[in-house]
Amino acid sequence: MVMTITSARPDPRTPVMTAAGLRRGLVAALPFILSNGLAGLVMGLTYKGLGLGALQAILFSLLLYSATAQAIILSMWASPLPIVAMVIACIATNSRYLLMGAHLRQLFDGLANRKILPSLFLLADASWLMTSSDAERNGPDAGYFLGASIPMAVGWIGGTALAYVAPLTANGSLRLAAALLPTMFIATLIPSQWKGAKSLWPWLTSGVVALVVARFVDPSWSMLIGGGCGTLVSMMAKTDG
Amino acid sequence: MDDLHLLGAIAVLGLTCYAMRVGGYVLATSLRDDGFVARFLRLAPGNLFIAFIVAGCLSGGLPGLIGTLVALVTMAFTAREWAALGAGFGAALATAALGTS
Repeated sequence: MVMTITSARPDPRTPVMTAAGLRRGLVAALPFILSNGLAGLVMGLTYKGLGLGALQAILFSLLLYSATAQAIILSMWASPLPIVAMVIACIATNSRYLLMGAHLRQLFDGLANRKILPSLFLLADASWLMTSSDAERNGPDAGYFLGASIPMAVGWIGGTALAYVAPLTANGSLRLAAALLPTMFIATLIPSQWKGAKSLWPWLTSGVVALVVARFVDPSWSMLIGGGCGTLVSMMAKTDG
Repeated sequence: MDDLHLLGAIAVLGLTCYAMRVGGYVLATSLRDDGFVARFLRLAPGNLFIAFIVAGCLSGGLPGLIGTLVALVTMAFTAREWAALGAGFGAALATAALGTS
């Protein structure tokens, strides 16, 4: 599969994939090497605490490339692995990518699939937001999307690997704190999800149902059942805004 | 758990994640923006996150609760993920250390 990157754009409204966009995205996203690197490092420490080897940990961060999905999968860790529940959790937690992808289709419709589909391997919340913003200013450029995605991926995967290279260990209190990082990862996403009083009842429902399921049924299903019930309450509102 | 089983699981989960990433792009023409499924997907993340956090705090005890709250509040004030994670991690670590000392 050959991905062609052109050097100029013919029309500001026409979707393109340019080298200039690639450079612009790379530069704009450089700070993510540090922030994703730190997050990847703590994720790597958590994998290390679970006893996973470096290869498996790096493959997790490379192939899943999703802090949310990886954190939730870690919370479901058991032997044998509950693969079906993990796949469902992946689908549920990454469902937002369906909408991001649908939005990117609106931006890049007309570009050959061989250009855009490989880049979507690196789709992340931040790269999508940055690309949407850049498209409004400079027109839709898939080169920008790819360029912005690369530092984020390098930080995340590199950070995971660093946990195995650096002389860091997780014992006692440190091990406990590291095991809590997935929950903290998700907590950092909460402020961006808050929609005022409209979020109150759905979130209360999600929390209470999750608590009951985790305590009396099976902790592996608490997120899906609790979140599903809360989402149904959200849907009772007339508008989503 | 043998390595082959684990690598197979990682491959399946990786494929699932990629399918979600390309799925919206490929199916965009058939997914109605005002349909039930699209609306459910749009509203699901926040609710899923809350349910996940509640279960995480339940299993993490007091360090889990303190660390998560500190991470959440730091994120709300700074909008910096690295700052929130660092503060939450430190708070959980301190709470756990105090509990064991």
